[in-house]
Amino acid sequence: MAPEFQDIVIIDSPAYDNHDTGGGEHPETPERVRAIRERLNSGPLAACLKWVAARPAAREWLIAIHDESYLFRFEEAVLAGQTWLGHRDNQICCDSFDCAVMAAGAGLAGVDLLEDGKEKLVFCPVRPPGHHAERAMALGFCFLNNIAIAADYWRQVYGRKRIFILDFDAHHGNGIQAAFETSSAIFYASIHEHPTYSFPGSGYAEEQGLNGGKGANLNIPLPPGAGDDMVLEAMQGKIGPALEKFRPEALIIAAGFDAHGQDDMSGLDYSTILYSRLGGWIRKWAGQFCGGRVLSILEGGYNPQALALSVESYLAGLAYNNVQQDN
Amino acid sequence: MYIKRYMTVNPCAAGPETTIARASELLTEHNCRHLPVVDEESRLLGMVTDRDLRSACPSVLAVSRLNPEQLKVAGMPLSRIMSRDIVSLTPLSTLDDALLLLDHKKVGALPVLSDSGRLEGIFSTRDLLQAYRQLFGLGERGSALISVHEDGRPRPLSRLVRALEEHDIHFSRISRRSNAVGSSADDSRAGAVIYVRVNTFNLHAVHQALAEAGFTMENQGA
Repeated sequence: MAPEFQDIVIIDSPAYDNHDTGGGEHPETPERVRAIRERLNSGPLAACLKWVAARPAAREWLIAIHDESYLFRFEEAVLAGQTWLGHRDNQICCDSFDCAVMAAGAGLAGVDLLEDGKEKLVFCPVRPPGHHAERAMALGFCFLNNIAIAADYWRQVYGRKRIFILDFDAHHGNGIQAAFETSSAIFYASIHEHPTYSFPGSGYAEEQGLNGGKGANLNIPLPPGAGDDMVLEAMQGKIGPALEKFRPEALIIAAGFDAHGQDDMSGLDYSTILYSRLGGWIRKWAGQFCGGRVLSILEGGYNPQALALSVESYLAGLAYNNVQQDN
Repeated sequence: MYIKRYMTVNPCAAGPETTIARASELLTEHNCRHLPVVDEESRLLGMVTDRDLRSACPSVLAVSRLNPEQLKVAGMPLSRIMSRDIVSLTPLSTLDDALLLLDHKKVGALPVLSDSGRLEGIFSTRDLLQAYRQLFGLGERGSALISVHEDGRPRPLSRLVRALEEHDIHFSRISRRSNAVGSSADDSRAGAVIYVRVNTFNLHAVHQALAEAGFTMENQGA
């Protein structure tokens, strides 16, 4: 009899605890990743988790996505003891640059493991998050675009020609979109709270890619208050057909959990169990297109308890064996 | 709010003797739909729209390309078809003036004239959309529009601004929508909504600051 859950590799680093955002009312705290570790280690998935150490991303992969002058500016700000970069939202401490490089490196280690052929499911509970970071700008608590760096690495090192990125964070991943909006090889799809009401103010449905990348960008804004039904409708009615048409060779998930009803960083109202259903869909599509391989990287999620339970729910849906999808 | 900040300066224009065929080409070349007709000193004589040009030409379904009637129309001057009863703006007209005129006169663009009647610019409905897009901060990177319910207590805007400033929360725009149109400020206070464009991702902090000041945000978490 097959085990109930497939193995999941968790790529983690103690460095993720060292990015100090100054306390006070800043919601992007080390408590987020601590809560995830604690829950995963004590919950029903513990036996099928393989914890692997992250590695720092080599500079060549960072400068593929970010201007080198920006990297210098970030590093210098940290060394000079500045407390924020670009905007007070982006709080930094003396370890923040190293933490961000280690967060970017988790995805690269994950790609290597997936391409090695032994592993199918990789989750990287990193911080700081990345999907708002642009080529030369820190934004929305993000400094290095972990997902974009991993996607570019996957394409360049392993020659994967079509990579699909699905972002279910409550906020539009402007940085990922900007990195690939002229590319037809990397598809960026995002389900998020409507940009009229939500940070960062981009991700309107009419944004569908530019020039050669036209059609490889799908934005699905949901109205404030939207819950599970609207997400599942979007997955079935829009994301599924986009995947069918694009037929990706690799799948990366920008896994943000701040759309949870108990997270006050968005007006969306997802349940914990929704993330399990999202995991189920993603598992199905990964099997259909990508040999079952999925790389998931943490983005938002700022209520530590809701975050930890949502991550567990997502991973359970992703790893559950022999499940008959009811969606 | 002055039109001179938002109008298209040095717009494409034509003389009264310009032919209908040439005017069609000019609109295509400049990707526009309104053509001011001016004299040699740039004084406005009339306006021609792409619709005027199409109306002047025989239907493409009814005639062949070499039909003599069509060739004759193509060679006619704009003075034969231009509108002469023109409403216009000045550089010191406001966006509100433009909005009201575009709406009431049901036109797509208005010429902007100097005191001496010379053409200085043109202001279209598209320019109006762009202007309000800019004023409302639509698409401004790194911002979010939040909706705050008024609590019925006095001086809601002052209290809200103070709460944000005391917490060092940056914001760039604020507007208020009363639910009861036409009623007095006091009558409409309860149930009114204040929209604030905050320039931060830290909505958690915004939420806390407003809650302390007694406000509730619409659709923000459970």
